[in-house]
Amino acid sequence: MTSISHRPKARPDDLPQHLGAVGEPGPPNEIRLKVGTLAFRRAARMLRIAGARLITLFLADTPEPALVGAFALRGSLVVLRAPTEGADPLTYGSLGEFWPAARWSEQELIERHGVHPLGAVPEHLTAPNADSLDRKVHGLDAFVIPYGPVRSGVFEAIQFQIETGGENVARMQTRPFFKHRGMEDLFAGLTPDRAVYVAERVAGIATVAYACAFSQAVERALDVQPARAAERWRAVYAELERLACHFDVIAKEAETTALYVGQARFQILKEQVTRLRARLTGSRFARGVVVPGGVRFAGNMSLDELSGELDGIEEQLTRDRRLFLGTASMTDRLIGAGHLPRDLIEDYAAVGPLARGSGVSTDARHERPYGDYRRLGLQVVTRREGDAMARVNVRFGELFESLRILRQAVDHLRRGDGRLQTPLPTGANGSAFGWAEAPQGELVVWVELRDGLVHRVHIASPSLRNWALFDHAFPKDVLTDFAFIEHSFGLTPAGADR
Amino acid sequence: MLGWLFRGLRQGRITTRYPRREERPPHGFRGHVEVLDMSNGSDDLIQLCPTGAIGVDDHGRVSLDRGRCILCGECVLAAPDRFRFVAKYELAARSRPALVVSDDDLPETEPTRESLGELAPALRRSIHVRHIDCGSDGTEEWEIQALWNPYYDIQRLGFFLTAAPRHADILLVTGGVTPAMRGPLERTWAVMPGPKALVAVGTDACSGGLAAGGDVIAGGVDLVLPVDVYVPGSPPAPIAIMHGLLLAVGLLDVGEVAA
Repeated sequence: MTSISHRPKARPDDLPQHLGAVGEPGPPNEIRLKVGTLAFRRAARMLRIAGARLITLFLADTPEPALVGAFALRGSLVVLRAPTEGADPLTYGSLGEFWPAARWSEQELIERHGVHPLGAVPEHLTAPNADSLDRKVHGLDAFVIPYGPVRSGVFEAIQFQIETGGENVARMQTRPFFKHRGMEDLFAGLTPDRAVYVAERVAGIATVAYACAFSQAVERALDVQPARAAERWRAVYAELERLACHFDVIAKEAETTALYVGQARFQILKEQVTRLRARLTGSRFARGVVVPGGVRFAGNMSLDELSGELDGIEEQLTRDRRLFLGTASMTDRLIGAGHLPRDLIEDYAAVGPLARGSGVSTDARHERPYGDYRRLGLQVVTRREGDAMARVNVRFGELFESLRILRQAVDHLRRGDGRLQTPLPTGANGSAFGWAEAPQGELVVWVELRDGLVHRVHIASPSLRNWALFDHAFPKDVLTDFAFIEHSFGLTPAGADR
Repeated sequence: MLGWLFRGLRQGRITTRYPRREERPPHGFRGHVEVLDMSNGSDDLIQLCPTGAIGVDDHGRVSLDRGRCILCGECVLAAPDRFRFVAKYELAARSRPALVVSDDDLPETEPTRESLGELAPALRRSIHVRHIDCGSDGTEEWEIQALWNPYYDIQRLGFFLTAAPRHADILLVTGGVTPAMRGPLERTWAVMPGPKALVAVGTDACSGGLAAGGDVIAGGVDLVLPVDVYVPGSPPAPIAIMHGLLLAVGLLDVGEVAA
């Protein structure tokens, strides 16, 4: 990988000049740059040297057909756009060679869209077959275990091809896309407030994050500012979702280390949060509430009652956390397991608790604050160790931080209700990115609107981006460590496969 | 370890007594949509539903297919005099037409197979369950996992999770079937010994849900394999899934609330 000893400071104003690109107007926090397809690779490389993080590569259709790369660079989203008019077959220099993070995106471009990045090798990843097994092994006595897509327990469909001699994991290959449902195509032709139901179902356990990211993209494209009260309720639902997802990860970690009492305790907390959401919204996953322009209704519960519930959860969490971290049979398995060094995290542009567990302080709520997070303030929780324990500790820290944010949002809500929904202009055109920090990590959604209808959507899910790292998560670990390294990632195949 | 023990004891009993006692959803829970007025419907009503669950026939009679409904609430917002949310868990049915609410006197629909309980009454208190995901959005898995948490503890009713399909009596299927999962689904079902039952969990498994509008997913699980019990909901709550399982083994009858 490219080693970068020092990073020149690039100011946003200088970017077009440095990258040989032409600046274009865009929504706030979005720096749009136009380059030629031949200059695309060089510009991306410059961005990497400047310290940018690759988010996704895809084909956009607005304002004209183009290859688009999205990068996070110091509080801004840099959008590199190379119009593809007349380029047939469409080709550009592959980024994968110097930026492993581009791997999944480029495979999708090759296999689904017929683009040929020069230098990239087709891996036949996006249309998996349960029977096709890569039996090549790299040592004597080694064999390949195909684990999945039907796995023990109640889990989503994904396959891992594990090359092992019985103990050490010589090679791990993650094969997602078994449950590719074509979700991005389902958006086309729907009105924004109906398309949000599709967004909610891309990765159901992060319903609110997907609904918020999609809605914010629509709002940014149409220059609509949702009401404050709406943004506060969105933050409340989003943080409750984070609580539920983090409790789920910790309960599963307890289960895999056979700490069944601990598992039960965190399952109880998760169910309490789920029931709280059902009381607030009528849906156990807070579905059908967040819509472009605001929220449909306020929580169906008095604010005093809500803060009472939060107090109860925090009190139990404090006790259960102390017991959990004091149980050596549990922590011994997690410490040192699935170690991911910081450079690997940066190479693969990982996000969420996974990145924060290896000392990379990245959080969309902090980097590019959106909605109520502009007013709430956030302490990003990071750990340096980079192992499964660090990732669990990051989640424990975030649970308390979420509860603090929730209280603050509830306090703000006490100042008065106000309007909840802002009408969207009808028949409008536009395009923009929207983002949200899902419990699994930063989620970025690209939306194009034509005549008031959704024309095209691209989703850069945290699960897909982080899963690329799983192949590297077994440096010194043995096969029996598999389950709790997987749970420490806390990802969802539904989001990765779309 | 003692600390954990005292934590548990302090909590006391939280497990539901369902199905011996009714479990009530919280106020305002979106369990299913009720049609208050089935007559004089116009074609505008059809447009209210993103998944085409609302139907209006030539005589203006309105019907609602719970197997397609994703509980978004568009119809309830737009026509509150005609549609209303009802907080209820027991919605599972033993045939697909039974999920359609309409004015018509539907002929009695026959279940797919005899229920497991009728075929092997001795089995009823020891049922092994296997789950397969064929393209869900991930929420159905959470709600199925919840059945084994202390609130629902379905083991007290004799339901156990098994990893091996060869040991399983019931197959829980989530999601409309994606092309890549069709083979694994057929093989999993084929190796299960009879008598066995297949339970489709969630609107996606019943009809394909929202995804059925696209090019990848054609419809529900019943396009691939015969389904014994349909549990609608997006996703169905744990009690709703429990009701479906009890229906599949014949410990409850359709529409019955508590045994």
